[in-house]
Amino acid sequence: MRHLFASKDFREGFVEMLPACVGLIPFGLVCGVGAQAAGADWLAALGMATIIFSGAAQVLAVQLYAAGAPTAVIILTCFVLGLRFLMYSAAMAPYVKPLPASWQRTLAFLLTDQAFAASVRRFNAKDDPRGGGLHFLGCGAALWLMWIATNMTGFFAGNAIPASWSLDFAVPLCFIALVAPLYRSVPAVMAGLMAAIAVVVLAALPMKLALIAAGLIGIVAGTLVDLARERWTAR
Amino acid sequence: MDGALKLWIVIVVVGALNYLSRLSFIAFFASREMPPLLARALKFVPAAMLTALVLPMVLSPSAAGALAGINPRVPAAIVAAIVAYFTHSTLKTLAVGMTTLWLLQALAG
Repeated sequence: MRHLFASKDFREGFVEMLPACVGLIPFGLVCGVGAQAAGADWLAALGMATIIFSGAAQVLAVQLYAAGAPTAVIILTCFVLGLRFLMYSAAMAPYVKPLPASWQRTLAFLLTDQAFAASVRRFNAKDDPRGGGLHFLGCGAALWLMWIATNMTGFFAGNAIPASWSLDFAVPLCFIALVAPLYRSVPAVMAGLMAAIAVVVLAALPMKLALIAAGLIGIVAGTLVDLARERWTAR
Repeated sequence: MDGALKLWIVIVVVGALNYLSRLSFIAFFASREMPPLLARALKFVPAAMLTALVLPMVLSPSAAGALAGINPRVPAAIVAAIVAYFTHSTLKTLAVGMTTLWLLQALAG
C-alpha cells in the first residue's frame, strides 16, 4: 500500500475523486441506516459496504431481506441490477488490456461509474496504460474507503435521528437523483414507465418477485421501443 | 434459516456476482465484442430496475391512500424528480425532496 501512495498517478487519482466522495456521503449514510433498520449487525453492514460495494444492490438486498424474501430471490434480483456492470466492464476493457492480469483483477473490483468516468478521461489524455491504471486504482481506493466510512457512520448514527424527521425518505430520494436524469429518451422513459406499472400491478406476487419481474419487463420494453425507433428513423 | 447466516450468504454471493460482472469483459471476454442486442438491453437496466425499486418506497405505507393524494411522499418525490432531472445533483434532490416532505407534513399535521 505504501508504494502505491508513493506513486504520483495513484495520488492524483485519489485526490481527483475527493469531490465525488462528498457527493457520496448522503448515499452512503442512507445505506448504513437501511442496513441498521433491516436488523443487520455492524459486521454485516461492514461486509455489505466492503464486498458488495454498490449502493443500489445494498439497498435492494436489505429491503428484500427485511420483507422476508427467499435468499434465491434476493440474489437473482440483485444480479439483474448488477448486469449494468457488464456495460462498464466492456467499456473499460480496451484501456486495461495492456496491463498485467493481477492489475486487471484489482481494477475490476473497484469499477464504479464515478471511477470509470474519471479514468477514461485520463487514459485518453495520456498514452500511458500503467499510469492510467495507477490513477484508476487511486480513484477506486478513495471511493471504496469513503463508501465504507459513510456506511458505518450511517449504521451507528442512524439510531440517533428521530423518526419524525422521516429520514427513511432519503433512500428513495437518492435513487430518484440517479434515475430521473436517465429519462432523456423515449425508450428510457418507456423502460421506466413499464417497470413502474408492472411493479404496482404485480405487487401481490409471492416471494417479493414483483421487483425482478417489473425490472425485466421494463428492460424488454425499453429494448423493443429502441429497436422500433431505430427501424422507423432508418426508413 | 438463521437471519444472520442468510444475510451473509446474500452478501458473499451478490458480492461475487457483482465482481464477476465487473470483471467479465476485462478478463473473460477480453477479445470479444459485446453482442449488439445485449449492449442495447443493458442500457435500460438502470432505468427499469431503479424505477421498480423506488416506486414502492414512495407509495408505501398505503398505495390506496397515495392515489387519493393523502400520502405527502408522492408530491415530494415528484418535486425531487424534477430537481434531479434538471440539476443531476444528489445533494439538491435530497434537500428539496426532504424540505417538501417536511412542509407537507407540517401543513397536514
